[in-house]
Amino acid sequence: MRKFLLSILILLNTGLFVRAQVIGELLEDESVLYAETKQINQFFKRFNSEEDKDGNRLYEGDPGFHDNNLREVSLPMIFDRETSYFNKNIEKKFIADVTNKKNPVYLEFHGGEWFAEVVIYTLYYGRSAEAHLFLKLQEEEVGSKWVLSRVYFEPFNALFFDNPSGVDKFLHPMSHELDFMNLAKVFRDHSMVEYYAYDNYLPDYLSIFIYEMKMNHLKFEGVKKVKFHFFQVDQFYFMIEEYNRQGFNNGWLISKLEEIDEDEKNNLLNTIYHEGN
Amino acid sequence: MKKISIIIFLLGVFQISTFAQDDISPERKLAIDSLAMEKIRDLEKYIAIIGSKETPASEAQRVIERATELFMVDSEMGVSKLGSDKTTNYPVREYFQRLMALNYDKVTISWFNIQYISDLEKMPDGRWVGVITIYQRFEGTTKEGLKYKDTTKKDITVYVERKQTQISGRTIGFWDVLLGDVRVAETKK
Repeated sequence: MRKFLLSILILLNTGLFVRAQVIGELLEDESVLYAETKQINQFFKRFNSEEDKDGNRLYEGDPGFHDNNLREVSLPMIFDRETSYFNKNIEKKFIADVTNKKNPVYLEFHGGEWFAEVVIYTLYYGRSAEAHLFLKLQEEEVGSKWVLSRVYFEPFNALFFDNPSGVDKFLHPMSHELDFMNLAKVFRDHSMVEYYAYDNYLPDYLSIFIYEMKMNHLKFEGVKKVKFHFFQVDQFYFMIEEYNRQGFNNGWLISKLEEIDEDEKNNLLNTIYHEGN
Repeated sequence: MKKISIIIFLLGVFQISTFAQDDISPERKLAIDSLAMEKIRDLEKYIAIIGSKETPASEAQRVIERATELFMVDSEMGVSKLGSDKTTNYPVREYFQRLMALNYDKVTISWFNIQYISDLEKMPDGRWVGVITIYQRFEGTTKEGLKYKDTTKKDITVYVERKQTQISGRTIGFWDVLLGDVRVAETKK
């Protein structure tokens, strides 16, 4: 915390992120607004040192562009210091890694390895329920667009593999000789029908979601929360969220940072997607 | 004003007759930013006029028309309040109508001298899109003298399109800017 306050003092003195501008009584407010990371776009710029202290875009060749000394000082400012906990050693290693003079890491908007999680309100058969939509940026022949890649929806989840054993649910290997007449028994109790699918079968919630919406059983009611998951830095995962509060530590900030290997990355992805639970 | 700004743009910045425009140079980006900011300043001015209780209703309606013309058809304002997780979307015209009808005796709308202009990203239809963030201070006073104040952050979608027109037989390319959906979030400032 002390280090963070020290960083704020240094940054206030150097003017980084804060433009002291005397406009009547709005001085304090405006400084706070300058400090806020106002857009994801600005998060990228601040992470990479691609904007100056006034928020103006820096381009290659401009003083301060991709300046790793500056990044070492400014990166701690884009962490949530009020509600999130960060392991100091991991944070130090992360900042050292991304600002490494020989092999620095900069975030790339079109670099893949990051995606959005949007929690939405829905009405499902007339009852309120939240859904998690996962969106990724897809490159097109011209330009790019955000696309739905996955959905997690608890009412769907509750429908599948509710009975963890399910070992007695199978079509015996001679069923073909009887024209699969035993399918009648499978579909008579449709609550367990998923157990008759192939090994490692996973239901595609996105398709069900789209189907239910087309059938007018599911209605979008609004966006509750947006988060972004980043895997662009080797051996690290971080998440950013938007904070709307008083003070300088505000806007889009890192809310989670973990050091991960490849296995842990897959586990983490499963956790984020609520898969394999 | 719109015509003048386009003409200035045509004559002063881009006397270009080609459409091969895959990337936007930093210089061009700055010029597009200033055109977009001109629209935003117009919007700020219109909002202040529409919200002011000193504006006669007929004048406010006329300004609502002008303000609506800044936007793409079907643009919406998504409004969220502190203490509520819900966002309510209004078509822009309805948002302006509601602003005009606010039940205060005196309304002052001012703007912070700060904005953040994002990069422009190309869309699959060939147009470009960006977001400009601005902050608004609202102060309303009721007949009884009760004061309400808030500061809202407005994230405004900006669509940028390369167009062409014929002037004296020559094909001239120019950049056209239209506003799109706006996220209006009350802040704790």
